[in-house]
Amino acid sequence: MKAKDIMEQVKDHLSPDDTIRDAVNKMRVVKRDDGIVGVKGMIVLDREGNLVGMVSVKDILKAIIPFYMTMTELGEFTWEGMLSEMTKKVADKKVEEIMVKDVITVPEDAPLMECADFIVKHNLQRVPVVDREKRVVGIIYVRDLYNAIVKVLLNDKEVENI
Amino acid sequence: MTQVTQEAAAASQPFVMDTVFWTATTIFVLAYAVIVSEKVHKTVVALFGAALMLVLKILEQKEAFHVEELGVDWNVIFLLIGMMTIINLMRPTGFFEYIAIKSAKAGKGDPMRIMTIFALVTAVLSALLDNVTTVLLLAPVTLLIADALEVDPVPFLIVEALASNIGGTATLIGDPPNIMIASKAKLDFMDFIYNLTPVVIVLMVVLLVVVKIVFGKKLKTREELKERIMQMNEKEAIKDPLMLKKSLFVLGLVLVGFVFHGTLHLQPATVALFGAGLLLLLSGTHDPHHYLAEVEWPTIFFFIGLFILVGGVVKVGLIKLMSLKMLDLTQGNLFATSMIVMWFSAIASAIVDNIPYVATMNPLIIDMAKQMWPQEAGLALLRHPDLMPVWWSLALGACLGGNGSPIGASANVIVVGMAERAGKKISFMRFVAYGFPIMLLTVFISMIYVWLRYYVLKF
Repeated sequence: MKAKDIMEQVKDHLSPDDTIRDAVNKMRVVKRDDGIVGVKGMIVLDREGNLVGMVSVKDILKAIIPFYMTMTELGEFTWEGMLSEMTKKVADKKVEEIMVKDVITVPEDAPLMECADFIVKHNLQRVPVVDREKRVVGIIYVRDLYNAIVKVLLNDKEVENI
Repeated sequence: MTQVTQEAAAASQPFVMDTVFWTATTIFVLAYAVIVSEKVHKTVVALFGAALMLVLKILEQKEAFHVEELGVDWNVIFLLIGMMTIINLMRPTGFFEYIAIKSAKAGKGDPMRIMTIFALVTAVLSALLDNVTTVLLLAPVTLLIADALEVDPVPFLIVEALASNIGGTATLIGDPPNIMIASKAKLDFMDFIYNLTPVVIVLMVVLLVVVKIVFGKKLKTREELKERIMQMNEKEAIKDPLMLKKSLFVLGLVLVGFVFHGTLHLQPATVALFGAGLLLLLSGTHDPHHYLAEVEWPTIFFFIGLFILVGGVVKVGLIKLMSLKMLDLTQGNLFATSMIVMWFSAIASAIVDNIPYVATMNPLIIDMAKQMWPQEAGLALLRHPDLMPVWWSLALGACLGGNGSPIGASANVIVVGMAERAGKKISFMRFVAYGFPIMLLTVFISMIYVWLRYYVLKF
């Protein structure tokens, strides 16, 4: 089996000009392959459809925490309501400013071990699958790889040559 | 004659404008120009320029490394390394956050009072530590407080940078120009306390009055927001009480060491290195790598490169030529020299980094002194009573000049960078609008001070 055999469809994507508010909304309403509504991360495509970044829930949290708090230990001196104040402040920030720009991808014919290796090495939750022209054709989530492992361990005949 | 004094004597021989002279001068001027243009990192420029001086044999390696008049001033280098190491060990204890939160509470959450107290704390810390560290430690808390009070952080940050540059002027260890001047002119810590601290106290009072007039009416917040500050518990900032005690003990010891270093015949670098060594030992760390790696090595190497660059042009006689020109200009009038040095230093330091500027001015002033008092040498020359006001004018001009523009001092560069990251861009002109008048005012007061103290009252 290859990456393209277990990847999920790309249901929606963000654009660099979207605001954080747009992003949160898109991520909240999108429907996954398994029918569950909402994702915790999305790819960012420019107008030509090229992959330019990725935004996850964590990137949004990072955008909301003021940078000066990362410079030193100030967590004890925050106040009730600060999170919502800061959230409102950054609501109109562009996706472009908060997205991870160096996105790690796998080719569609990559063996599953390559996908697993990337996901663990770079501490990812999802990895976009690209074709020869570097176009995104799908996404592999940690759970997809895990499902593949589950099938092996539970002796599913179909997947013996993983 | 020992070898060192022979070489020093050779350095003060009449010069010839030969190929070596022009090569050294070209390297020096080009390096200066590239540093000012900021096209290449200043440390890279200084190190490459220094390497050229050595490769082209303008300066022998031995001169660069071992001759006081021509080479690296290790007293400056190790004083900086020692103090930076102490701060690196002290930082994780949470002491600086504690001071900042405590200050905000002492201001009862009132923005104007907090700004005043922060300015004072910044000035005192900058006098005892380096300015960059002080501003780097206080700025994050300042931004937090400004968010809590829902006020614009920019005035706070600019006032802190200004206070840092003024406060740093007060002591030998407060600002790099002072460290360099002290080492070259063989001035000790108490010389700075007697001669510069009094005027710095006056300057701080003036700064606070100006700040009050400019911001007093504008800085307002709501009562319920002040509560946010009052509810902060500064004790929670302390992460390692035992290490804090050790750090304060060592820092206290180092400060006492500075006060008495002249009497004890210990160089300031010795005192700082002793403090760094002792605190490393007391910390019980098995991983000194981390604390040592956080020393600002680019700054240290910038100094090393500069000293060699300047050494090259001292050796070929460029600096002597410049000092003769200055003597022509002032006709040997030392009051005029002091005033010119002060104002020129202030303007120059507002435009270019004051570190290369002072590195160049130090040997220039010494050369000038040699022309004026050819019969004197050593301490009698460097600390000639008539020369002292010139040294103080250089220190005041170079340190206070840093306030004139956002690139005039490292502390300014830091607050501008922090403000930008906080989404509050400080334009070049906005900084100048605050900084330049303060620079003019403080240098003007310093001019009156030098004139009154050294030329009228003479004490």
